[in-house]
Amino acid sequence: MRILTLLSLLLLLFTACNSDEYLEEPIRSTPTLAEILADGSSMEGFVNSAYDGVQENSWWQINFFRQIMDMASDDCWAGNTEQPRPDIISIAHYNNIDVGSNYLQDFWNYQYRGITKCNVVIQEIGNVTDIDPELADRLLGEVKFLRAFFYFQLVKNFGGVPIVMTFDELLTPDILNYQRSTVEEVYALIEQDLLDAVDLLPLKSEYSSADLGRATKGAAQGYLAKVYLFQERWREAADMANEVIQSSEYQLEDDFANVWNVENPNGTETIFEIRYRTDQAFAVGGVYGVTTGSREDGGWSWCTPSSYLEKAFLDEGDEIRLRSTIIKHGEPVFGDPDVTEFNAAPTRNKSARINRKFYIPQRFRETPYNQGNLPLNHILMRYADLLLIYAEASYFAGDEMSALNAMKQVRDRVQLETDMSLTGEALRDAIWKERRLELALEQHRVYDLRRQKINGVSRLATVFGPDGDFVRYNMEENTDEFELSNIGEDQAKGITFDINKHTVWPIPTSEIVLSRGMIVQNPNY
Amino acid sequence: MRTFLLSCFVALLTTATAWGQGAQISGRVSTSDQGPLPGINIIEEGTSNGTITDLDGNFSFRATTDTPVLLVSYLGYESLRIPYTGQQNIDILIKPDQTTLDEVVVIGYGTANRKEITSSIATVEGEDLNRMTVGNVSESLQGLAAGVQVINNGGGPGAAPNILIRGIVTNQGTAPLIVVDGVPLPEGTNLNFLNPGDIEDLQILKDGSATSIYGTRASNGVILVTTKRGGEGKASISASVSYGIQNLQEPSLAGANEYARVINARQMNDGQPAVYDLDAIDTDTDWWNEVYSDFAPVQNYNLQINGGGDKLNYLGSIAYFRDESHLDRGYWNRVTARFNVDYQVSDRLLIQQDINPRYEHWENTPNLFFNTLRIDPLTPVFVDFDEREGRNEFSIYGRSQNFVPNPVAAVARQFNKSYLFNFFSNTKLTYDITRNISFSSRLGLTLGQQRNDQFFPQFTIEPGLEENPESSVRSRMDQSFGYVWNNLIDYNQKFGLHSISATAGLVFERFQNNYVLGIRNDVILPNENFQFLDAAVGEGIQAFGNEGANTLESQLFRLRYNYDNRYFLFGSFRRDGSSRFPVNNRFANFYSFSGAWNVTEESFFNVPFINNLKLKAGFGQVGNQNIPASAFLFLVGNENFILGENEDRVVTNFISQFGNPNLQWEVVEDVNYGVEASLFNNSLSVNVDYYNKKSIGLLFPTSLPLFTGAPSRIWQNVGSFESVGWDIGLGYTKQVNDWTFSANATVNINESRAVELAPGNSQLFAQQRAEFGNNFLKVTELGQVVGLFYGFETAGIFRNQTEVNSHSTDEGQLIQPNAQPGDLIFVDQNGDGRISEDDLTTIGNPFPDFSAGLNINITYKRFDLNMQWYGVFGNDVYNYTKFFRTSGSSNVNVQEGLIDDAWNPNNVDANIPRLSTIDPNGNFLRSSDYFVEDGTFVRLKNIQLGYNFDIPWASQFRLYVSGQNLLTFTDYTGLDPEVSAGGGIINGLGIDFGRYPLARTVLVGLNIGF
Repeated sequence: MRILTLLSLLLLLFTACNSDEYLEEPIRSTPTLAEILADGSSMEGFVNSAYDGVQENSWWQINFFRQIMDMASDDCWAGNTEQPRPDIISIAHYNNIDVGSNYLQDFWNYQYRGITKCNVVIQEIGNVTDIDPELADRLLGEVKFLRAFFYFQLVKNFGGVPIVMTFDELLTPDILNYQRSTVEEVYALIEQDLLDAVDLLPLKSEYSSADLGRATKGAAQGYLAKVYLFQERWREAADMANEVIQSSEYQLEDDFANVWNVENPNGTETIFEIRYRTDQAFAVGGVYGVTTGSREDGGWSWCTPSSYLEKAFLDEGDEIRLRSTIIKHGEPVFGDPDVTEFNAAPTRNKSARINRKFYIPQRFRETPYNQGNLPLNHILMRYADLLLIYAEASYFAGDEMSALNAMKQVRDRVQLETDMSLTGEALRDAIWKERRLELALEQHRVYDLRRQKINGVSRLATVFGPDGDFVRYNMEENTDEFELSNIGEDQAKGITFDINKHTVWPIPTSEIVLSRGMIVQNPNY
Repeated sequence: MRTFLLSCFVALLTTATAWGQGAQISGRVSTSDQGPLPGINIIEEGTSNGTITDLDGNFSFRATTDTPVLLVSYLGYESLRIPYTGQQNIDILIKPDQTTLDEVVVIGYGTANRKEITSSIATVEGEDLNRMTVGNVSESLQGLAAGVQVINNGGGPGAAPNILIRGIVTNQGTAPLIVVDGVPLPEGTNLNFLNPGDIEDLQILKDGSATSIYGTRASNGVILVTTKRGGEGKASISASVSYGIQNLQEPSLAGANEYARVINARQMNDGQPAVYDLDAIDTDTDWWNEVYSDFAPVQNYNLQINGGGDKLNYLGSIAYFRDESHLDRGYWNRVTARFNVDYQVSDRLLIQQDINPRYEHWENTPNLFFNTLRIDPLTPVFVDFDEREGRNEFSIYGRSQNFVPNPVAAVARQFNKSYLFNFFSNTKLTYDITRNISFSSRLGLTLGQQRNDQFFPQFTIEPGLEENPESSVRSRMDQSFGYVWNNLIDYNQKFGLHSISATAGLVFERFQNNYVLGIRNDVILPNENFQFLDAAVGEGIQAFGNEGANTLESQLFRLRYNYDNRYFLFGSFRRDGSSRFPVNNRFANFYSFSGAWNVTEESFFNVPFINNLKLKAGFGQVGNQNIPASAFLFLVGNENFILGENEDRVVTNFISQFGNPNLQWEVVEDVNYGVEASLFNNSLSVNVDYYNKKSIGLLFPTSLPLFTGAPSRIWQNVGSFESVGWDIGLGYTKQVNDWTFSANATVNINESRAVELAPGNSQLFAQQRAEFGNNFLKVTELGQVVGLFYGFETAGIFRNQTEVNSHSTDEGQLIQPNAQPGDLIFVDQNGDGRISEDDLTTIGNPFPDFSAGLNINITYKRFDLNMQWYGVFGNDVYNYTKFFRTSGSSNVNVQEGLIDDAWNPNNVDANIPRLSTIDPNGNFLRSSDYFVEDGTFVRLKNIQLGYNFDIPWASQFRLYVSGQNLLTFTDYTGLDPEVSAGGGIINGLGIDFGRYPLARTVLVGLNIGF
């Protein structure tokens, strides 16, 4: 009897509760992907996030890598001579990069994060029913543009990289066996994405004012032109650039000083630009004014312009662009009446020069003048860049007259004469020089030097290495007292450059380790 | 033989001193089963006069009176009191003391007699835990229980050690489950909350057959804490007080002159000009002594009362503990109270109610050890007086030349205080339905509230680098509520020689927490009354808050069978449902069975020197649910971006976590074989267990290649870890006249390996370091010990150019073309003639060959002496501090003597590479076995000498002095070989990142009882 009682009690116990309800404890405050995708309006949020991936919202993910790229050119020094940072200097000076750097890894990582953001939209937007088809097309065009942008960043820096085109494939075991695609395969993907984007995206003028800053048909065409240029497909590059020119959507700013100007966001010259705002509560501002700023001016003093760059302006008699490109210690700041004698102490800032393009004039600074909170937009492609792409591509395609005319437009604005009789290599060199002066300190230089070739050899080799122009200048000809008085940064920058190695950066070592060697290192690293 | 001589000697002495008037008494002591017993104490009551028996059990001595009363005692046997009435020869029969075997052991959801135990359970008495004055009981647990490894993390007041039971088979959360008086606590609970004085004992459940009843929460073992309860009798009061001072070992640091020479050498070796003019140095700051004081106090007060009558027993206690850091900021206070009441309402109904409120208040100890070692000695602590104009009190500090933030300044602006209130209630009702069946229901409630206030003053030491342009205030409030509701039916029955005990239960557990956090900028006035949210007036206002909860629902069943106290069988089953898994994988079953054979109870067994011998074997399964509650979900986070002419902020969506919808429970299975024996009149006890423990479907956060764009690691069931080892416990007791001696030794031998890993996850990496080219310091590889150190193997240092040149391939190609004499020689593992990622390999094992503890207690009359030794043997330590202390990397300060100890042409046999800023060989830019050292150490954890004064009004009046961590024997060159970094045991164990070291403490204390 007792046994029976016990057994029935036990039975009761074991059947009494088996409630799924008791075990239902959903995550609070953070939506799941499934929940968000069920909401039709969410797609725009994913697309906007992909834009975020172009710059990311702090200095370390992407921005600082871009800055190091200018340090690795002849336009800049690493600059900060107080902080011993071998992880930065080793890239800027082309010595000892092999051991790897955080900046390379973060840059690589965040390009792929951006790609994954795009892939979610590309894969899922077709499944969203509750969306205006026209908007859906535009959003698809935007992420195609952005995915191409990210892959272009990767191929420019690392050569061939693994290609991921959907979100679902990330969830298959096979993802761990991916290898690097060839440079050609990556470019083929970029071109296709940009061609799709050209079809899907509206013109700049067709966007509402609330959408200013989104990718446009012109931006897709502009980048396509650049992508062709990087592959030396001159005719296609010139034709594509010409389409942008003919669209009349963009003009040069009348005044060069208006190009990088807090008061002129998304100006008429802008083809693709990241919008920033100073905000107390949200990280939606820029960083470059601080990270390139003088140590005496609340800055970090990385990437200081070289006297070698200044000399290029002076040799050209290019006063207008010089004053809007370089600030010099002890001199007033052009466009900032509040500063009559700028302080970039030579003992702490190599070369005592600062990038004027990213500089925030005193009257636009909010207190505290924080990192990551600056109001100046960051221009990634502008019309002058496009005109010079057109000029260069036209020249190599054999159309010297178009090349000269495009270059002349750029020079006219800054009141420089253009010798219309230039031809052959002299014209080529003039276009290259023009590109340098016009776009100086805008993070293009190192890539231009890499792709521009003389007799099949990258121009980086003419600038760096024991016989490089920049190295020889600094070791033998340089008389700049600011630079010579501060040898905290080695005057022989770039002497260890190796043409067989340094035209691409090393793949992040952790990527090789994590892929168990499926991803192979670039040659000679 | 030696014992015999000693016995004779002592007997002789006592006989000699006892000359005189009383009766000459002689006799013999024996037991029924073993015959005559040597070494038994015979004392005349009320005197110190007496003797011990010889080898044949005989004794003889002269008493002080004619009718003395003899006291016969020996450890492990019942004591006897025998009035002498003039017999010629007294034959004394003594019986083994059964209490140790009849001792009640708390097991999961019930109790059992020690002799019935078929699994592996270690017991540590509260008395042993209270010998050290520590905030966290686990610190004194170190070395006391076989199979239990306690790893100190260093850290300041309030830091908690890691406890590891029987190695590692699970990656996530290696901390055991803590159960207090039957109530399991939330995972991640450390023992900080416990007042050591409240502990009756700890039972540590080690094998699966013991822990399986706790199902998903028991994969790392279970610690059952039993608190003291009242007993029948008049009230007794006890109080204890201790006060100690703690001292930190001072690391060697280069002075200003040497520092400057090292930095100059780094430059000049690269062909660069020197940085410092040695003659111009006018500052030499001793940062260690500027930041750390020599002594910091620790104090502990305890008051306890207990008693009871027929129906009601009670115990009340209140305790206060305070520990201070060696910095001007940082302390920890804990006030605990406990009230345990047992009320026998009727013959059938027992109600128990425990209440345990606790208040803790602490100021976070700033972690400045790292920076103190690194900052250059050329920097003054404060700027000159004439430079202080216009600076506030937080801005008058010197700014270092090597970009290490001023640690003294960091201490000064540390405003970080926490206040915790916790209320624990444990109600149990037991009702005997029939003589054999009883029902019990237990409800454990935990209510917690924690407030954390932080203030960040405005200061500017160096614009843009070491400054806070705007003051800010931050206040966070956490609340938690959890309940555990256990319902059990117990059934006990005897049928002749058979007895059965069955338990069935239903358990519900729920834990919920939530928080609010507010942050505001710019306080009105810079003083301590303005460090609250309402005092801030700036534009930046931020508010955060969230809630989380998890539930567990379980059914359990257990059957125990005992045949004639000879054969024991045990089986258990538990079914768990957890809210942390996807619906389709929500439930799991766990079972165990085990058995024991008590050989000594057999009639055929007759080995005189073996008093007790038990063999046992068991199998058990447990689970692991220690993963983030959202691990199976893809989550979407949001950020902000600016678009449009009006600079509108748009909210963006992005995937913030990759989930794994196929995530399953991790199961841990083990087998355990054990021998328990008592030998030589119970003077020697031996406990040996062998175990093999294995996880199935290991939960692991795997790193995907970065090209996946995954924002987080992904939880996967990646394979299996196996932990094999031996737990050995030895106990010895000896009593000679006024002397008692007891020693307990524990030895742990364990090896944990990754025996199976999912395809594509054959290597699991951890501890990625940016300064080492983003490589990993730890790897877990298939077939290898888990969490090995990872990096390049070195073969010493190039002594000269000839050695550099000869380190080449057969074709004469240099393997290290950038190397110079004085650089590390890296081993080209794959023989491809160059050093690359392909040459990375495992370079050390953080797990010891064995660890051992030795606890010795000696008493003589009113004196007592305790020593606790602990040692770890054969492990490697990754001495990360060498990365900067022997290189000056990033111009940080170095260890004393480096200028001569590092390789230089006059010291070609150096074992430290040459000084260089560029470091083209990557000596200090790569992880290598240069940083790996032998971490073997032996430590005297505690030594205590006490004297109990004979005071009429007190039952106890004991004064003691003790020293903790006074002696450490090691060859390790870092500060303390006992290291465990953050990031979990696997990923963190054995890496010395330079933590707040363990203090040496000297204490005095007083125990009083009435």
